[in-house]
Amino acid sequence: MNKILLIAMILLLSACSIGEKRIKVFSVEEPRAKLNLPMPDALTLEKLRWIIITSENASEVFAKLEAEGIDPVLFGLTDKDFEMLSKNFAQIRQKLQETNNLLEEYKKYYESEENK
Amino acid sequence: MIFGKIKMIITIIMILGLSGAGLYVMKLRSDNAILKANQLKLEQSVESQKKVLEQQKKDFEAIMESNKKLNKLVATFKKDLDDLDKRFNKGKRDVGKLAIDRTKAVERIINKGAENAARCVELASGAEHTEEELKATKKSEINPECPALANPSYVNYE
Repeated sequence: MNKILLIAMILLLSACSIGEKRIKVFSVEEPRAKLNLPMPDALTLEKLRWIIITSENASEVFAKLEAEGIDPVLFGLTDKDFEMLSKNFAQIRQKLQETNNLLEEYKKYYESEENK
Repeated sequence: MIFGKIKMIITIIMILGLSGAGLYVMKLRSDNAILKANQLKLEQSVESQKKVLEQQKKDFEAIMESNKKLNKLVATFKKDLDDLDKRFNKGKRDVGKLAIDRTKAVERIINKGAENAARCVELASGAEHTEEELKATKKSEINPECPALANPSYVNYE
Protein backbone atom coordinates (compact mmCIF):
# COMPACT_ATOMS: atom_id res chain seq x y z
CA MET A 1 0.00 0.00 0.00
CA ASN A 2 2.80 2.33 1.01
CA LYS A 3 4.62 1.59 -2.25
CA ILE A 4 1.56 2.46 -4.32
CA LEU A 5 1.19 5.70 -2.37
CA LEU A 6 4.86 6.53 -2.93
CA ILE A 7 4.60 5.95 -6.70
CA ALA A 8 1.39 7.99 -6.87
CA MET A 9 3.09 10.81 -4.92
CA ILE A 10 6.10 10.81 -7.26
CA LEU A 11 3.83 10.92 -10.34
CA LEU A 12 1.82 13.75 -8.79
CA LEU A 13 4.90 15.82 -8.00
CA SER A 14 6.58 15.21 -11.34
CA ALA A 15 3.32 15.89 -13.21
CA CYS A 16 4.00 13.02 -15.59
CA SER A 17 7.05 14.90 -16.86
CA ILE A 18 9.31 11.89 -16.71
CA GLY A 19 10.35 10.99 -20.26
CA GLU A 20 8.87 14.19 -21.70
CA LYS A 21 10.95 15.77 -24.44
CA ARG A 22 12.05 19.27 -23.62
CA ILE A 23 12.05 22.06 -26.24
CA LYS A 24 15.62 22.97 -27.09
CA VAL A 25 16.17 26.68 -27.38
CA PHE A 26 19.05 27.62 -29.65
CA SER A 27 20.06 30.84 -31.37
CA VAL A 28 21.17 31.17 -34.99
CA GLU A 29 23.13 34.25 -35.99
CA GLU A 30 21.27 36.04 -38.78
CA PRO A 31 23.63 38.15 -40.91
CA ARG A 32 22.76 41.82 -41.24
CA ALA A 33 20.89 42.67 -44.43
CA LYS A 34 23.03 44.31 -47.08
CA LEU A 35 22.40 47.96 -47.87
CA ASN A 36 22.70 47.39 -51.63
CA LEU A 37 21.87 50.95 -52.66
CA PRO A 38 22.29 51.50 -56.39
CA MET A 39 25.29 53.55 -57.45
CA PRO A 40 24.31 57.12 -58.33
CA ASP A 41 23.75 57.90 -62.00
CA ALA A 42 26.70 59.39 -63.86
CA LEU A 43 26.52 63.09 -64.66
CA THR A 44 25.74 64.35 -68.14
CA LEU A 45 26.90 67.93 -68.29
CA GLU A 46 25.57 70.63 -70.58
CA LYS A 47 27.98 71.97 -73.17
CA LEU A 48 28.80 75.61 -72.70
CA ARG A 49 30.62 78.12 -74.83
CA TRP A 50 33.38 80.47 -73.72
CA ILE A 51 33.70 83.77 -75.57
CA ILE A 52 36.88 85.78 -75.29
CA ILE A 53 36.21 89.49 -75.37
CA THR A 54 38.93 92.10 -75.64
CA SER A 55 38.76 95.89 -76.03
CA GLU A 56 39.33 95.34 -79.74
CA ASN A 57 36.70 92.75 -80.54
CA ALA A 58 34.03 93.82 -78.00
CA SER A 59 31.70 95.58 -80.46
CA GLU A 60 32.08 92.75 -82.98
CA VAL A 61 31.23 90.13 -80.28
CA PHE A 62 28.14 92.03 -79.09
CA ALA A 63 26.95 92.59 -82.64
CA LYS A 64 27.35 88.87 -83.34
CA LEU A 65 25.36 88.02 -80.22
CA GLU A 66 22.55 90.32 -81.27
CA ALA A 67 22.59 88.84 -84.75
CA GLU A 68 22.20 85.35 -83.21
CA GLY A 69 19.26 86.60 -81.15
CA ILE A 70 21.17 86.33 -77.87
CA ASP A 71 21.00 89.11 -75.25
CA PRO A 72 24.11 91.25 -75.74
CA VAL A 73 25.40 90.67 -72.25
CA LEU A 74 28.38 88.62 -71.05
CA PHE A 75 29.38 87.49 -67.55
CA GLY A 76 33.11 88.09 -67.43
CA LEU A 77 36.18 86.68 -65.82
CA THR A 78 39.75 87.98 -65.96
CA ASP A 79 42.44 85.60 -67.19
CA LYS A 80 43.52 84.98 -63.58
CA ASP A 81 39.96 84.28 -62.46
CA PHE A 82 39.54 81.89 -65.37
CA GLU A 83 42.66 80.06 -64.20
CA MET A 84 41.24 79.85 -60.65
CA LEU A 85 37.92 78.58 -61.98
CA SER A 86 39.69 75.86 -63.97
CA LYS A 87 41.65 74.77 -60.92
CA ASN A 88 38.55 74.78 -58.71
CA PHE A 89 36.72 72.71 -61.28
CA ALA A 90 39.62 70.23 -61.40
CA GLN A 91 39.62 69.94 -57.61
CA ILE A 92 35.87 69.29 -57.49
CA ARG A 93 36.28 66.61 -60.13
CA GLN A 94 39.13 64.99 -58.18
CA LYS A 95 37.10 65.00 -54.96
CA LEU A 96 34.22 63.34 -56.81
CA GLN A 97 36.56 60.70 -58.21
CA GLU A 98 38.16 60.09 -54.80
CA THR A 99 34.78 59.70 -53.08
CA ASN A 100 33.53 57.31 -55.75
CA ASN A 101 36.71 55.25 -55.47
CA LEU A 102 36.42 55.11 -51.68
CA LEU A 103 32.84 53.91 -52.03
CA GLU A 104 33.88 51.20 -54.47
CA GLU A 105 36.72 50.05 -52.21
CA TYR A 106 34.40 49.87 -49.17
CA LYS A 107 31.84 47.93 -51.19
CA LYS A 108 34.51 45.55 -52.44
CA TYR A 109 35.90 45.01 -48.93
CA TYR A 110 32.64 44.51 -47.07
CA GLU A 111 30.47 42.98 -49.78
CA SER A 112 32.89 40.78 -51.69
CA GLU A 113 32.05 37.09 -52.29
CA GLU A 114 34.42 35.99 -49.53
CA ASN A 115 32.72 38.17 -46.92
CA LYS A 116 29.20 37.05 -47.75
CA MET B 1 36.53 -17.45 16.73
CA ILE B 2 39.64 -15.45 16.04
CA PHE B 3 39.95 -17.06 12.61
CA GLY B 4 36.37 -16.16 11.90
CA LYS B 5 37.07 -12.48 12.72
CA ILE B 6 40.24 -12.49 10.62
CA LYS B 7 38.33 -14.01 7.70
CA MET B 8 35.67 -11.35 8.05
CA ILE B 9 38.25 -8.55 8.14
CA ILE B 10 40.05 -9.97 5.10
CA THR B 11 36.76 -10.29 3.26
CA ILE B 12 35.83 -6.68 4.10
CA ILE B 13 39.28 -5.49 2.98
CA MET B 14 38.96 -7.45 -0.28
CA ILE B 15 35.47 -6.07 -0.92
CA LEU B 16 36.67 -2.52 -0.17
CA GLY B 17 39.74 -3.04 -2.36
CA LEU B 18 37.69 -4.39 -5.24
CA SER B 19 35.12 -1.62 -5.00
CA GLY B 20 37.95 0.96 -4.72
CA ALA B 21 39.58 -0.49 -7.82
CA GLY B 22 36.24 -0.50 -9.61
CA LEU B 23 35.61 3.14 -8.69
CA TYR B 24 39.12 4.05 -9.77
CA VAL B 25 38.64 2.39 -13.16
CA MET B 26 35.32 4.20 -13.58
CA LYS B 27 37.00 7.48 -12.70
CA LEU B 28 39.74 6.77 -15.23
CA ARG B 29 37.18 6.04 -17.93
CA SER B 30 35.32 9.24 -17.13
CA ASP B 31 38.60 11.22 -17.18
CA ASN B 32 39.46 9.61 -20.49
CA ALA B 33 36.08 10.62 -21.97
CA ILE B 34 36.58 14.20 -20.75
CA LEU B 35 40.10 14.28 -22.21
CA LYS B 36 38.84 12.99 -25.54
CA ALA B 37 36.12 15.65 -25.63
CA ASN B 38 38.69 18.31 -24.73
CA GLN B 39 41.02 17.10 -27.45
CA LEU B 40 38.19 17.31 -29.99
CA LYS B 41 37.33 20.83 -28.89
CA LEU B 42 40.99 21.81 -29.02
CA GLU B 43 41.33 20.49 -32.55
CA GLN B 44 38.19 22.35 -33.61
CA SER B 45 39.49 25.49 -31.94
CA VAL B 46 42.87 25.20 -33.70
CA GLU B 47 41.06 24.74 -37.02
CA SER B 48 38.85 27.79 -36.47
CA GLN B 49 41.89 29.82 -35.35
CA LYS B 50 43.63 28.85 -38.56
CA LYS B 51 40.65 30.05 -40.57
CA VAL B 52 40.55 33.33 -38.60
CA LEU B 53 44.27 33.88 -39.23
CA GLU B 54 43.84 33.17 -42.95
CA GLN B 55 40.93 35.62 -43.14
CA GLN B 56 42.94 38.24 -41.23
CA LYS B 57 45.81 37.80 -43.68
CA LYS B 58 43.45 38.22 -46.64
CA ASP B 59 41.83 41.29 -45.04
CA PHE B 60 45.22 42.84 -44.37
CA GLU B 61 46.28 42.29 -47.98
CA ALA B 62 43.01 43.80 -49.23
CA ILE B 63 43.50 46.86 -46.98
CA MET B 64 47.07 47.31 -48.21
CA GLU B 65 45.90 47.00 -51.82
CA SER B 66 43.14 49.59 -51.31
CA ASN B 67 45.55 51.99 -49.63
CA LYS B 68 48.03 51.57 -52.47
CA LYS B 69 45.33 52.26 -55.04
CA LEU B 70 44.11 55.37 -53.25
CA ASN B 71 47.64 56.70 -52.76
CA LYS B 72 48.30 56.19 -56.48
CA LEU B 73 45.07 58.02 -57.26
CA VAL B 74 45.98 60.97 -55.04
CA ALA B 75 49.40 61.12 -56.76
CA THR B 76 47.70 61.35 -60.18
CA PHE B 77 45.51 64.17 -58.82
CA LYS B 78 48.57 66.15 -57.87
CA LYS B 79 50.12 65.57 -61.29
CA ASP B 80 46.91 66.64 -63.08
CA LEU B 81 46.79 69.87 -61.05
CA ASP B 82 50.48 70.56 -61.73
CA ASP B 83 49.90 69.97 -65.46
CA LEU B 84 46.95 72.34 -65.40
CA ASP B 85 49.05 74.97 -63.66
CA LYS B 86 51.78 74.50 -66.28
CA ARG B 87 49.27 75.09 -69.06
CA PHE B 88 48.55 78.55 -67.62
CA ASN B 89 51.97 79.50 -66.30
CA LYS B 90 54.62 77.55 -68.24
CA GLY B 91 57.70 79.71 -68.63
CA LYS B 92 56.58 83.31 -68.98
CA ARG B 93 53.23 82.40 -70.52
CA ASP B 94 50.50 84.98 -69.98
CA VAL B 95 47.11 83.67 -71.07
CA GLY B 96 45.64 87.19 -70.98
CA LYS B 97 48.20 88.55 -73.44
CA LEU B 98 47.90 85.47 -75.63
CA ALA B 99 44.11 85.94 -75.72
CA ILE B 100 44.55 89.56 -76.89
CA ASP B 101 47.05 88.60 -79.60
CA ARG B 102 45.39 85.42 -80.84
CA THR B 103 41.80 85.74 -79.64
CA LYS B 104 40.17 83.16 -81.90
CA ALA B 105 42.84 80.49 -81.36
CA VAL B 106 42.78 80.88 -77.57
CA GLU B 107 38.97 80.83 -77.58
CA ARG B 108 39.08 77.54 -79.49
CA ILE B 109 41.64 76.07 -77.07
CA ILE B 110 39.65 77.19 -74.04
CA ASN B 111 36.41 75.74 -75.37
CA LYS B 112 38.12 72.43 -76.14
CA GLY B 113 39.68 72.43 -72.66
CA ALA B 114 36.31 73.14 -71.03
CA GLU B 115 34.74 70.30 -73.01
CA ASN B 116 37.51 67.93 -71.90
CA ALA B 117 37.20 69.06 -68.28
CA ALA B 118 33.43 68.48 -68.37
CA ARG B 119 34.03 64.97 -69.73
CA CYS B 120 36.45 64.35 -66.86
CA VAL B 121 33.69 65.25 -64.38
CA GLU B 122 31.29 62.88 -66.12
CA LEU B 123 33.85 60.06 -65.94
CA ALA B 124 34.63 60.83 -62.29
CA SER B 125 30.93 60.55 -61.50
CA GLY B 126 30.90 57.02 -62.95
CA ALA B 127 30.17 57.49 -66.67
CA GLU B 128 31.22 54.67 -69.00
CA HIS B 129 34.34 55.20 -71.15
CA THR B 130 33.89 55.43 -74.90
CA GLU B 131 35.84 53.08 -77.23
CA GLU B 132 38.06 55.98 -78.35
CA GLU B 133 38.90 56.86 -74.76
CA LEU B 134 39.79 53.27 -73.92
CA LYS B 135 41.93 52.78 -77.03
CA ALA B 136 43.75 56.13 -76.90
CA THR B 137 47.49 55.62 -76.55
CA LYS B 138 48.90 58.68 -78.35
CA LYS B 139 49.19 62.12 -76.84
CA SER B 140 47.05 63.54 -79.65
CA GLU B 141 44.22 61.12 -78.79
CA ILE B 142 44.02 61.56 -75.04
CA ASN B 143 42.02 63.90 -72.82
CA PRO B 144 44.85 66.07 -71.46
CA GLU B 145 42.74 67.30 -68.54
CA CYS B 146 42.68 63.88 -66.84
CA PRO B 147 44.58 61.24 -68.86
CA ALA B 148 44.84 58.77 -65.96
CA LEU B 149 41.07 58.79 -65.57
CA ALA B 150 39.96 59.12 -69.18
CA ASN B 151 42.55 57.04 -71.03
CA PRO B 152 43.63 53.94 -69.08
CA SER B 153 45.69 52.62 -72.03
CA TYR B 154 47.81 55.76 -72.26
CA VAL B 155 51.24 55.60 -70.64
CA ASN B 156 52.94 58.89 -69.97
CA TYR B 157 56.71 58.47 -70.30
CA GLU B 158 57.56 62.05 -69.30
